[in-house]
Amino acid sequence: MNTTVIDAHNISKVYNPKTIPVHAVNEVHLHINKGEFTALVGPSGSGKTTLLNLIGGLDRPDKGNIFINGTDITKLTAGELISFRLHNIGFVFQSFNLIPVLTAKENAEFIMLLQGVKRKERERRMMQLFKDIGLEDKMDVRPEKLSGGQQQRVAIARALASKPQFILADEPTANLDSASASNLLDNMAKLNKEENMTFIFSTHDQRVIERARRVITLVDGKISSDTAVVPTTEIQTGQVTS
Amino acid sequence: MIFIMAWRNIWRNKVRSIVIMLSVAIGLFAGIGMLALYKGMLRSRVRTVIDAETGHIQIHNPEFKKDFHPAYVLPNSNELLKSIRSFSGVKLAAPRSIVQGMLVTTTGSSGVTINGVVPELEYKLSKLKEKLIEGEGFHTDKKNEVIIGKKLADKMKLHLNSKLVLTFTDTADNIVSGAFRVSSIYQSNNAPLDEVNVYVPLETLNELLLTGNSFHEVAILLNNDDDLQMVQNQLKTKYSFLLIETWKDISPETELMVKTIDDYSYIILIIILFALAFGIINTMLMSVLERTKEIGMMEALGTSRKRIFLLILLETIFLTVAGTPLGLLVAYFLINYYQTAGIDLSGMGKEMMASFGYSTTIYPSFPSEKLGGVLLLIVSTAIVSCILPAMKALRLQPVEALRR
Repeated sequence: MNTTVIDAHNISKVYNPKTIPVHAVNEVHLHINKGEFTALVGPSGSGKTTLLNLIGGLDRPDKGNIFINGTDITKLTAGELISFRLHNIGFVFQSFNLIPVLTAKENAEFIMLLQGVKRKERERRMMQLFKDIGLEDKMDVRPEKLSGGQQQRVAIARALASKPQFILADEPTANLDSASASNLLDNMAKLNKEENMTFIFSTHDQRVIERARRVITLVDGKISSDTAVVPTTEIQTGQVTS
Repeated sequence: MIFIMAWRNIWRNKVRSIVIMLSVAIGLFAGIGMLALYKGMLRSRVRTVIDAETGHIQIHNPEFKKDFHPAYVLPNSNELLKSIRSFSGVKLAAPRSIVQGMLVTTTGSSGVTINGVVPELEYKLSKLKEKLIEGEGFHTDKKNEVIIGKKLADKMKLHLNSKLVLTFTDTADNIVSGAFRVSSIYQSNNAPLDEVNVYVPLETLNELLLTGNSFHEVAILLNNDDDLQMVQNQLKTKYSFLLIETWKDISPETELMVKTIDDYSYIILIIILFALAFGIINTMLMSVLERTKEIGMMEALGTSRKRIFLLILLETIFLTVAGTPLGLLVAYFLINYYQTAGIDLSGMGKEMMASFGYSTTIYPSFPSEKLGGVLLLIVSTAIVSCILPAMKALRLQPVEALRR
């Protein structure tokens, strides 16, 4: 049985409403189930990042409601929203956004400290996460000493560390070379498959789109198509079962 | 981890942080140095009052202080003196006969306070001999000798061996005069007192006053400054009919100065720290503005505003407090050096310093008792300085901050 993680009803976001209104997101309905691997695609300015920010509780819609696991996040106060994000949503940003004064491990551990996770549990999860992303030997290295791909993998470990309901990734491969992007996507696909982790990407990157199981296309703030697809990689490796 | 982040964050721009830390160190050094200087000056002034002017305690006939009439001697003066010397904590008790009179020379006259003293005791009690700049003090074989202050000598154009006449009223209200010869000239740290106080042998003055063996004042030096209140209370209990005053009662302006200078020095320290606060605020504001995206990201990930405020607060405290040990150490070593060597302020004008009752050589003293207050002020400065940068950080909306 599919469990609904995100349920957005008729959400709209207008920038500059009093001067030159820009309908970044326009009456969008979106329903995402647990374990989906979804790509939000569309041209620049189509509203991908705005939609991601609304779903992630980083921004508030001007209209509509967003339910995350049954909680209407549009009704939460600023403080409640911060706490909600901490316990439910993982973020991966385009420019990695690791804290430069913390090591890779400390960056990932930071979220768990905010959550009040005990030291022993933190250590155990850190070991597992860094093993999963293949950076066990880089745990004590600061971000400046890591490549872009490695930094983005640490960002994924950070997003996963909080055991979120889903992970929002805004153009996660935009600043990566092909090999790093491929490696990163492998990691994400593995986590999606093995841990049933829900991923939602905003992307232009064809490599990401090819891995997605669902592709939602946005044009001028509206969903123009919403398609379930079989990832190209699975066709190539003969993993298609249906 | 917020502590670790705060500490590491202040080293992200080393030069900027070191400049602020050095500013705090220099400001603190200046503040502590000033407190030490004040403490040294006050200590010196209090010592001068006790050791060279009033002694720790003075005892008088209560009527004497009303109009200084010479008839009001201490009853049973000699028995009283003996008894006082037997009190525990009393180092020295010296008798004085005191009368207001006129000093007359061929060129003019001047109002003076004539102090009849026992030379050997007075030399120890008010360090009169140490203050002599001309002459050897009283000669045992000469009765009519007078020691006058330099300021009075200059004013009346008197020199060693100059003749002068002291005129005053005796106990029977008769005007009496005595001819004296200047045996010595003294100079203390208190020019106004030098101008009015003259010293003659007790016996000579008593003969003229017709007070016999009695006297008007017993000045007491104690072994320990801290025994002041205890000895005063004991004396008051035993001699309730006498006026028993400590140096604080006799020289209230000195006591007031001790109290007010403490407040002034804190005010000056606050002004120094206030000026420093602007530098700290500027540094922290720059630091926050440079990290807009990072702070927005932290909030996006779920860092509460309380924690972000704590981060900025800790960074400001670390930045401010990091310079403190350096400032304290430099102040400590320099003050300790000058506590022994002294700082010669004669360049500021010996006359001016003396007119306020201060020595020209100041021995600063490290104000260890004020360190708690100083550190509290520094931490308060940090807290106040962090408010504006923290507000700036807290106003950031994660979605806008991440867009930058």
